[in-house]
Amino acid sequence: MILPQVIVSGLLLGAVYALFSSGLTLIWGMMNVVNFAHGDFVMLAMYIAFFCWTGLHAGPAMSVPLAALGLFLLGVVVYFGLIKGVMRGPMLAQILSTFGLALLIRYSAFWAFSANFVTLPSDLVGGTIVLGGLRIPASRLMAGVVALLLTLGMHLMLTRTMLGSRMLAVAEDRQAAMLVGIRPDPMQALAWGLGAASTGIAGALIALFYYISPTVGESLVLIAFVVVCLGGFGSVPGALIAGLLIGVIESLSAYWAGAVYQDAVVYALFLAVLWIRPQGLMGSL
Amino acid sequence: MLTVSRRRLGQMALALPLASPAAGARRANAANTVRIGAIYPLSGNAGSAGQALQKAIEVGVDIVNNAHPDLAALPLGPTAGLPNLGGAKVQVVFADQQGNPSVAQSDALRLITQDRVNALVGCYQSSCTLTASAVAERYGIPFVAGESSAPNLTERGFKWFFRTTPIGSDFGKAYGEFLQGLAKQGQQVRSVAIVNENTDYGSSTGDAIAAGLKQHGLSLALRIPYNANSTDLSAEVLQLKQAGPDTVIFVSYTSDSIQYVKTMHTLGYKPPVVIGDDSGFSDPAFVKAVGDLAQGAINRSSFDPGNKGSTSWVVNEMYKKATGRALDDTSARGLNGFLVLCDAINRAGSTEPAKIQAALRATNLNADQIMIGYNGVKFGPNGQNELASTLLVQLRGTDWDVVWPQAKATAKVELPFKG
Amino acid sequence: MKRIVPALALIGVAVVVWPLLVDNVYLQRVGALVLLMAISASAWNIIGGFAGQVSVGHAIFFGAGAYSSLVVFTRLGWPPIAGVPLGVAVSLALSVLVGVPTFRLRGHYFSMATIAAAELIRILVATWPLLGAAVGLMGPPTPRSLADLSFTSPLPYYYLFLVVLLILLALTRWMQLSRMGYYLRAINAGDRAARSLGVPVLRYKLYALVFSAAFTSVAGSLYAIMIGFADPDSVLGILVSVKVVIMAAVGGAGTLFGPLIGSILLVPLEEATNAAFGGSGSGVTYVVYGAIIMLVARFEPGGLLDLARRARLFLARRVEAARRAA
Repeated sequence: MILPQVIVSGLLLGAVYALFSSGLTLIWGMMNVVNFAHGDFVMLAMYIAFFCWTGLHAGPAMSVPLAALGLFLLGVVVYFGLIKGVMRGPMLAQILSTFGLALLIRYSAFWAFSANFVTLPSDLVGGTIVLGGLRIPASRLMAGVVALLLTLGMHLMLTRTMLGSRMLAVAEDRQAAMLVGIRPDPMQALAWGLGAASTGIAGALIALFYYISPTVGESLVLIAFVVVCLGGFGSVPGALIAGLLIGVIESLSAYWAGAVYQDAVVYALFLAVLWIRPQGLMGSL
Repeated sequence: MLTVSRRRLGQMALALPLASPAAGARRANAANTVRIGAIYPLSGNAGSAGQALQKAIEVGVDIVNNAHPDLAALPLGPTAGLPNLGGAKVQVVFADQQGNPSVAQSDALRLITQDRVNALVGCYQSSCTLTASAVAERYGIPFVAGESSAPNLTERGFKWFFRTTPIGSDFGKAYGEFLQGLAKQGQQVRSVAIVNENTDYGSSTGDAIAAGLKQHGLSLALRIPYNANSTDLSAEVLQLKQAGPDTVIFVSYTSDSIQYVKTMHTLGYKPPVVIGDDSGFSDPAFVKAVGDLAQGAINRSSFDPGNKGSTSWVVNEMYKKATGRALDDTSARGLNGFLVLCDAINRAGSTEPAKIQAALRATNLNADQIMIGYNGVKFGPNGQNELASTLLVQLRGTDWDVVWPQAKATAKVELPFKG
Repeated sequence: MKRIVPALALIGVAVVVWPLLVDNVYLQRVGALVLLMAISASAWNIIGGFAGQVSVGHAIFFGAGAYSSLVVFTRLGWPPIAGVPLGVAVSLALSVLVGVPTFRLRGHYFSMATIAAAELIRILVATWPLLGAAVGLMGPPTPRSLADLSFTSPLPYYYLFLVVLLILLALTRWMQLSRMGYYLRAINAGDRAARSLGVPVLRYKLYALVFSAAFTSVAGSLYAIMIGFADPDSVLGILVSVKVVIMAAVGGAGTLFGPLIGSILLVPLEEATNAAFGGSGSGVTYVVYGAIIMLVARFEPGGLLDLARRARLFLARRVEAARRAA
């Protein structure tokens, strides 16, 4: 019964990866900007969930919408205050600006919340579901389900709605979109807002079973980059598949080869995939 | 004349942006304060540990500078200031090394040459202690390491480096003796698994424990090094579950120890004996987060608050008052190092480095004269405290009770691990 | 031009002389750190700035240099400086290994691939006992001879780093003026355009990376010699890679002196904020640091040298206009 459990744990882990990568995919795909502050967005959302609990004694039903709203606003502010100015500049300026933002957010959190580790009570969304001998923690299952819904929602929004078509049009060709009467700024601000909001949802859910500290985002952001790259440039379903894949690979390689090598296996595989398919698994050139 | 004025000019022009805020004060107070530099990771990934240490050192300053009749056992407890230096006060200059060995080195240089400290303490991470103490050695400034346990620190032939904390091999010996004792009582403990995080602390401590177990005839069933930042530790726990060792020793930081306990609970895995190697298990956040899932876990710690009114209890209360949380083992060891240094400065009766060094060499404190559970403090020729020792404690409710060694135990060890 | 030569000479003299005039070892050390960072950032600038291939994995080469220096000491007992050729050789091999598969990638994909490669190497080194695994390697604790280059004063390091930096800048200048400089500018403008001009894109990208890697490795060796210690986090961590990018970009990537300017501004800034606020344990150091690089990126995306260039143009135009009006 051990091996199936390893795979199930890997899938649950992968769902978490997919969950916190979804917002990054949207932002990256929409405007070709890599957000180095993504992990710190997740961290802020985790603190929102934490303060929801300490201040209001409220669980995820309250903290998830609140984090989504808070991060949406942050995303829009960051777009107008920072990204709009560097978006069409050199790629270096984009890296520099979002990395600066990351340091600013991370160390402001340090200053405001102190360096101490905090956690939400483990029984907030408690319990373990036992299914035919497989043990699944409820909190992680919830995160997995939300990851699926979020991906589906984002995909439908982009492919089936007028708003999505407009956003894609702006992403495709800003000038052409303006010619057909789409104002690019609101669309791109919206993309940042929505990307950040889904990051907020992710953070509030991950806080249920992970520790919270100002530097937590640092350890999450690299794997998110790999997920998004592997999934393919801006491909929302691609990120889901890549996330699940990486989760299972990490779990299996930790079980077989040893836990220290799990990230090494992922990076090596990622490089191999890029060598063969420079556009990622689901992306197009 | 010309050279002097040119120097002044250069200094004024170039020192301005880098002048430390304390620089102006430093000449004025030379007579009646003793300055000690403290280098810790006050930001970065180990910021939590560094800030806890900073608070502990501040409690230490309070103990030294003010009269505490309830701390009569400590050399500088009942008196205010350093009596042999005419009641001089101790002032600590903190520096943040950010977990970076190069920054630690810059900090040491700045504290020694700019802030003119008389001695240094630090630096938590062994890597930073290594580079910072090398600067102190060059400048002939005493350096006391209260927390860093990498064995190689005291193998460098340094003359100005002193370490009060026990080191990896002491821990290995402690676990070996403890488990051997359990075996004699009929507990099945022959096969042991070591699960260690894969940075400096975890891997070197893991090696030391493995060596210690071997010496005591215990077999290492499994060793799992892992990355402390992992989002999920299920695969590691499943590996343990499959191998089924009698004892599991976790060498983990805070976030991952919490993750392990949660994951073991989720996956329904309960090894008979669970031992945590200090660090993560000793963080107050651990008991707060998963105390109810970790009942019966054993932890290495040198600090035990003990009975009401005891020295360590009073110190713990002072720390609680200052921070709202209990004194953890790492911070307690750092505080002990600081107090040992202050005692040496007082016995030296001078802030002259060579005299402090001689006084440190002559240090001979017994177990009652310190606020931590060592057998005492007495430095060997390499600067290592030969009386350093450790306790093993077991979690009951929200408190850790001392269960080993027998002579210091306040409770009997209760097995198996309840979870 | 007439006015520029004496100005440059003056700056040159100042750079050489100031550490002798300040009787302050800490400032001298900061000066040495500035130069060390300037070497790393200028080396990165060749591939990242001139060729426009934004590598965020230069820690690979920095680490190769640092580890090589210390491994010849710990395993063979040689002075760490003897590890420099080894580090350069390893870096050359690694640059081919990293470059060939990743140079086809465009934009962010290249950056991400270099991050992944660097992380991969960091993890492998952290489990490799020959290189001290996670604990790292230590240099000579006390100098055995002059060859160990282990000095109490930062001054010898300052001048050593200055010499290396000058060599690097001279070579870079020479490259800028040669055919290679022209090719790299074309590549920077876009692979496809460069190819249509007949530039052997892959080959010249590789040349640039090899050049860049060799000097980054030297910087790594010098770091290890001065600090006397290397472990996976401090020489192979992602922050090492990111820092060189920041220095070059803030000063002005793709310009000869940009990385130097960036280092001159940011390294002392970091030291000063850490000295002033670090002890309070509030993390203010990096709040300030983050805010500044964010502002530079937002308002001077071309780096500070770009600002200086525009200021000069602006002044020249004003002078011209004034002259005409007169």
